Amino acid sequence: MFSAIRDRLGRRLLTPSSLRPPPSAPRSALQVSLSVWRALFMREAMSRVSSQRFGWAWMLLQPMAHIALLMLLFSTLRQRTLAGTDFALFLALGLLGYQLFTNTAQRSASALAANRGLLAYRQVLPVDTVLVRAVVEGSLQLVIGLALLSGAALFGIDVLPHDPLLALQAYFLLWLFGSGLGLTLSVGYALVPEIQKIMGFVFMPLYFASGVLFSPAAMPARLQEWLLYNPIVHGLELGRAAFFPGYHLVQGLSVGYLTSFGVALWLMGLALHRRFATQVAAQ
Amino acid sequence: MIELRNVHKRYRTAHGVGRWVLQGITLDIPAQRSVGLVGANGEGKSTLLRLIGGIDTPTKGKVVRHCRTSWPLGLAGGLQSALTGRQNATFVCRIHGQEADIPEKLAFIADFAEIGVAFDEPIKTYSSGMQARLKFAMSMAFDFEVYLVDELTSVGDTAFRKKARAAFDRLADRSSVIMVSHSESTLREFCESGIWLHDGRAHWFDKLDDALTHYKKSINP
Repeated sequence: MFSAIRDRLGRRLLTPSSLRPPPSAPRSALQVSLSVWRALFMREAMSRVSSQRFGWAWMLLQPMAHIALLMLLFSTLRQRTLAGTDFALFLALGLLGYQLFTNTAQRSASALAANRGLLAYRQVLPVDTVLVRAVVEGSLQLVIGLALLSGAALFGIDVLPHDPLLALQAYFLLWLFGSGLGLTLSVGYALVPEIQKIMGFVFMPLYFASGVLFSPAAMPARLQEWLLYNPIVHGLELGRAAFFPGYHLVQGLSVGYLTSFGVALWLMGLALHRRFATQVAAQ
Repeated sequence: MIELRNVHKRYRTAHGVGRWVLQGITLDIPAQRSVGLVGANGEGKSTLLRLIGGIDTPTKGKVVRHCRTSWPLGLAGGLQSALTGRQNATFVCRIHGQEADIPEKLAFIADFAEIGVAFDEPIKTYSSGMQARLKFAMSMAFDFEVYLVDELTSVGDTAFRKKARAAFDRLADRSSVIMVSHSESTLREFCESGIWLHDGRAHWFDKLDDALTHYKKSINP
């Protein structure tokens, strides 16, 4: 059939059909998945950045404006330092970590609804759209974080973590938790749409219960106990500890607690996608 | 060849499981034979096409494709409205593993679709006819053996239909089409054989005319 096509392009005009190479062998499942992930990644990144005017600028301006507003608010309320930390950086780390978690969770949970049209190609599975969105969002937040920290460095703030490995670990685990939650919720949203409404209520107070604005160590002991049930608190506090030497950590922080949430939600999400593959794909 | 083995399909509705749309279809659709799917509304023509295309799974039974099969053309979806025609075409090239040939394929698609500068505009600015042209051009850029077509040509203008016809003629030695359409003339133009869907069962006819006769008899007894 390609002789006709090549005619139109003015190529291979004289190749008789018998000399054309035979159609290539079917691709392996892994090859198909890899090319689907690559294609989805490019598409997601493209539409995420170009969906609105100055898409890139907004992504940087939004957290910056957020931090600026909080700084203004707190500078009138109380001192700008918190036991050996720069308060702007303290807020930035909290906000960036929190944003990494919620954006990854919420965007990957809604990936399927946004990409339903693509299931018209049998190569694309529902789980592909979710996994790719989690990676796109994670990469995007990484770029935003690095850009903001570099910007802060220009203003003379010391933004280099004294324990870079702990910093990587803390933010990676926040992403793992967010993407695991997204994977699990994406099946939930597809099967029981009401879950989406309920999650709206859950995400709202999370901002205040995650220690974005305050250090849990500065809270009463009774409250600390409750805060520590929230895995995000563990991630944010470890992230701050990696940046500020001698940061006062609350008792009972655990890498394992956050990791188990991430790993358990990933396994559950993948299992749900496998178990309910037909129901999730059906519209 | 496409094998259908005891294919059953029913959908889940808001009130529990629905009726059986397809019940126990066993068929071999030979490669290189263009087939028209006929049947009244709701008899499962599009459902069968979706199952053959692999974008939906049968409730019971199985579908095996022994040839490279296109996605079902003409069904809603498959294009992202915020992205341009070119970006959508690039995406489809990528998922079909044609990364290396993208420039060549894009040139072909732009040329075949004949939508001019609109190729670089977002899909949301397209008319339904332009979308159909783009989807058809995308499918023509790949070396499929069987093309699945669901009322695709109904939105195109005469020039587009002529072009589609000519394209399928050129592919005739290696490709075929399985087509759903309510237009008898379209079916006659493209297909030799027919499948008549009735009461959840499929009846194969070597001659399309026989399928059409049975279909017409069933709606006007």
